[in-house]
Amino acid sequence: MAYTEEELKKELETKEYEYGFYTDIESDTLPVGLNEDIVRAISLKKNEPAWMTEWRLEAYRAWTQMEEPAWANVTYEKPDFQAISYYSAPMKKPKYESLDEVDPELLDTFKKLGISVDEQKKLAGVAVDIVMDSVSVATTFKKTLAEKGIIFCSISEAIQEHPELVKKYIGTVVPERDNFYAALNSAVFSDGSFCYIPKGVRCPMELSTYFRINQAGTGQFERTLVIADEGSYVSYLEGCTAPTRDENQLHAAVVELIALDDAEIKYSTVQNWYPGNKEGKGGVFNFVTKRGLCEKNAKISWTQVETGSAVTWKYPSCILKGDNSVGEFYSIAVTNNYQQADTGTKMIHLGKNTKSTIISKGISAGKSQNSYRGLVQVNSRADNARNFSQCDSLLMGNECGAHTFPYIETKNKTAQIEHEATTSKIGEDQIFYCNQRGIDTEKAIALIVNGFSKEVLNKLPMEFAVEAQKLLEISLEGSVG
Amino acid sequence: MAFENRVDVEHPVHDIRTEAIKFFEEKGFPTKKDEAWKYTSLKTLLKNDYSVFPKEESALEFKDVKKYFIHDIDSYKIVFIDGIYSSHLSQTSHEGLDVCLMSSALSKPKYQLIIENYFNKIAKTDDSLTSLNTAFSREGAFINIPKGKVVDKPIQIIHLATGKESSIMLQPRSLVVVGENAHVQIIERHQSLTDNPVLTNAVTEIFTHKRGIVDYYKIQNDNPNASLIDNTYISQQQNSHASVHTFSFGGKITRNNLQFVHKGEHINSTLKGITITEDKQHVDHSTLVHHATPNCESHQDYKGIYSDSSTGVFNGRIIVEKEAQKTNGFQQSNNILIDDKATINAKPQLEIFADDVKCSHGCTIGQLDEEALFYLQSRGIPKKEARALLMYAFANNVLESVKIPEVKTRINKLIAMKLGVKVGFDL
Amino acid sequence: MLKIENLHASIDDKEILRGINLEVKPGEVHAIMGPNGSGKSTLSSVIAGNEDFEVTDGKISFLEEDIAELAPEERAHKGIFLSFQYPVEIPGVSVTNFMKTAINESRRAQGLEDMPANEMLKKIREKSELLEIDRKFLSRSLNQGFSGGEKKRNEIFQMAMLEPKLAILDETDSGLDIDALRIVSDGVNRLKSKDNAVVVITHYQRLLEYIVPDYVHVLLNGRIVKSGGKELALELEEKGYDWIKQEVAV
Repeated sequence: MAYTEEELKKELETKEYEYGFYTDIESDTLPVGLNEDIVRAISLKKNEPAWMTEWRLEAYRAWTQMEEPAWANVTYEKPDFQAISYYSAPMKKPKYESLDEVDPELLDTFKKLGISVDEQKKLAGVAVDIVMDSVSVATTFKKTLAEKGIIFCSISEAIQEHPELVKKYIGTVVPERDNFYAALNSAVFSDGSFCYIPKGVRCPMELSTYFRINQAGTGQFERTLVIADEGSYVSYLEGCTAPTRDENQLHAAVVELIALDDAEIKYSTVQNWYPGNKEGKGGVFNFVTKRGLCEKNAKISWTQVETGSAVTWKYPSCILKGDNSVGEFYSIAVTNNYQQADTGTKMIHLGKNTKSTIISKGISAGKSQNSYRGLVQVNSRADNARNFSQCDSLLMGNECGAHTFPYIETKNKTAQIEHEATTSKIGEDQIFYCNQRGIDTEKAIALIVNGFSKEVLNKLPMEFAVEAQKLLEISLEGSVG
Repeated sequence: MAFENRVDVEHPVHDIRTEAIKFFEEKGFPTKKDEAWKYTSLKTLLKNDYSVFPKEESALEFKDVKKYFIHDIDSYKIVFIDGIYSSHLSQTSHEGLDVCLMSSALSKPKYQLIIENYFNKIAKTDDSLTSLNTAFSREGAFINIPKGKVVDKPIQIIHLATGKESSIMLQPRSLVVVGENAHVQIIERHQSLTDNPVLTNAVTEIFTHKRGIVDYYKIQNDNPNASLIDNTYISQQQNSHASVHTFSFGGKITRNNLQFVHKGEHINSTLKGITITEDKQHVDHSTLVHHATPNCESHQDYKGIYSDSSTGVFNGRIIVEKEAQKTNGFQQSNNILIDDKATINAKPQLEIFADDVKCSHGCTIGQLDEEALFYLQSRGIPKKEARALLMYAFANNVLESVKIPEVKTRINKLIAMKLGVKVGFDL
Repeated sequence: MLKIENLHASIDDKEILRGINLEVKPGEVHAIMGPNGSGKSTLSSVIAGNEDFEVTDGKISFLEEDIAELAPEERAHKGIFLSFQYPVEIPGVSVTNFMKTAINESRRAQGLEDMPANEMLKKIREKSELLEIDRKFLSRSLNQGFSGGEKKRNEIFQMAMLEPKLAILDETDSGLDIDALRIVSDGVNRLKSKDNAVVVITHYQRLLEYIVPDYVHVLLNGRIVKSGGKELALELEEKGYDWIKQEVAV
């Protein structure tokens, strides 16, 4: 473990949500409510071409005909979609050429987020795009990437600079009318990240986006589009935080990944939106649609550590369209206090010899509810499809719930599918054993939880793994008396 | 459907029936939009214009239907022909136990208390098909085993359909009460004698009291035009054991709703099944074990082999309430797809609200082991027989817990028939 | 070092220990013997601070300090080590990682810095060689899938790593074949010094041939009914416990 115990001790002292600060930055915010004019206004503010405006309007019209889904194992007060402001951008615009030009207060924000941008530049070699209240404010490392022909910028910029790529791929994996939140996102998304890796290029560094909701009463609707051209490789990291607020904030993102023939995309998320306080007040509603498309021999690997949000509704999925393509999903979802998570994946096997792996670790504490929901579908032409799924739940305390809802649909006789699920708890004997070796109870729980989550933590890039371990400990604090 | 005039308004359960009618009228038949019916559609069945009561009573000779009975053992028998009791084929009893008819239990004063205590008490009132049965069923088996009675021989409940009506809907309703320390074994079968469409919507309620034991065997090997919706509800008191084995080989659409509710500690529930389908058959096992009390166990083990363009559904659910600490809940579903057009949809669910429990489920979908097949062939066993042997081996452990040897033999024969082999060894 | 006076302890209101008196001084090896159910394992659990047991009367002091109110980890930090009769499995946590955490937690409690990585590695190498432990073993999940012998050897490995002042070996010989028994007792003997002490809890005399005790105590019905030198163990081996029971009854 790369973090020092001293750091950890400090973390353990801060019992409250540590990213719960609010950055006082002037914002340009549209009036609350949603109608065609607002959609047009967003598009106009961003100086978008007509086809984009039309695409948004189409999505908006579809959305008005749709109902908010209710099948997930979560209960919450439905957001009032007319009480949200759909656009909030930090005033300081336009784009910054280098970090020196960025508002120092904003930079300070990033520091508090623990993603000190310049440090990362030096140490980890991570290129970061930071999306704050839905607008991308800085993309570092652009030059280094440009030399390889890699495009990594905000999606607004991509719409201006690379319209042919955006037009070709946006909505191809998650169509405008895919579901209620995706349609809403398609209509109003204000920014997000765009990434294109050219043929045969192996992206030399991790690409990273950090999302943050800042302004009160705003929704965050970012849209991410990652295209890995034939034979290319990219590892993409995504982190999320939001300030502590009493009201619920809405986050409805869409992420589309396209892995063309022989390409590989590794997409890792550490989600730490504000989960609400101990009484379940406030917190982020996280309704996210993430999906990737694999062409021939391509591979998409989703890894997620979900510790935040009041309500999470999220199913990063893979459409294994090409023969020999591979989909992976590694997930840790931690819920504490009154958090609710309904998360999992869909693996759609269409091509021959396609393979998928699902490893899901759910940890529930407090009065929280944690559900795994997944679909493994093998279509009739997907000969020799393979899937292995394992869903393990750990319960801490007797007021929480852990649920598993796997759907398995197979229409091909050559398919081989294995699904396993287990439920367990942390044994008092395990804790006493650790105590006897000099490890206190809190630390013992962290150790046991880390052990339980190991298979997934191992899949994260190093810097993220460390952060994820810390998050696990923080989110479970005080969960055992 | 104008059969209300056929229902006795003075009946003691009239209010229950009225409620049920109301519910069904509101809800109607389930559709694929209902989560519980996502993978099973009743559409094709509901196209038929079923007659609900037979126009005439039919008689059958035992020799003509003997093969549908487990005839090589002595047993009590409750037999229905087109939904009407056949005293000729039955062998009931009131000596030290009651093995008789639902209609008489509903009408005779001496059973009034039992009916009040048990009738429609665990059957789901918010399930439209169960409500439909509650509303209109007139007949079925009534089995009441008093405290301490170990029933001397198995009870067979046989529902026969003659096919005299061009299509008929049957709604048998049965009630089984197993007293403290009592023990009973029941074998149930639905059988149509022609290819005319039959739709059976059966409801069975079973109550086991302290330390009671009930073993229930469902043999489902009906004709290709017969469909069955079987709703079985079991309520268990402390230290009781209940097992249900479901053998689904025949029929057009078969849906087994099997639900266990625990009402005491140290309860043991066993749910097992073998499903072998072909052509366009569709078999759906929807199970629920509701652990509401501490220190109980449940074991689910279902094996399925699907050929041609048949479809299997396994929708297994374990709920563990907050109070149900130290629960052991296990669920296993293993499936083999034999042909290209066969489909399996599985949804094994765990919903856990207690922390000190051991629960797991496993679900596999795969093929026969090619290497094992080759091994058997190399020892001179023809491919077809070798395949059958492997399939039999795959399903076999479900049979281990069958306690009546004759039932085991019969199931073995049915499996051999279903797999289309005559093997030279005793399957 | 360890002083136990009139110790009474119970579990679920059932009294198991009924007035234990025991004093262990630095450099000594004590053996506690007794039939099943006499309270041997309870005694070790109570010394280690297992909260399942309630101390209803008496005093336990360690290094002149009353430890009755201390949490198990605090007792560990002071130098008490218990080798468990049934070591617990912790999936996903490697032996190395576990040891690293345990050592650094103890160091922190003593106001020390974390042990530098190279020093840690050196120590692990040394101690694993002492107990003839394969390196691969150290990366496996703690006690998961370990054989009985591996579990016990791992316990003594941890003891070697933590260098306790007082080691209590609870039925460490059970589940060990003759080779493992030799390795484990060699390890214990080599760790022994004039500054530390060992309490061996055992059912049989066998282990005491390897780890030779200075004192042998017989525990019966929650009391120490007889104490003597190492020859008492031999006598017990030969005659069983019945004669002591009779003696006590008289």
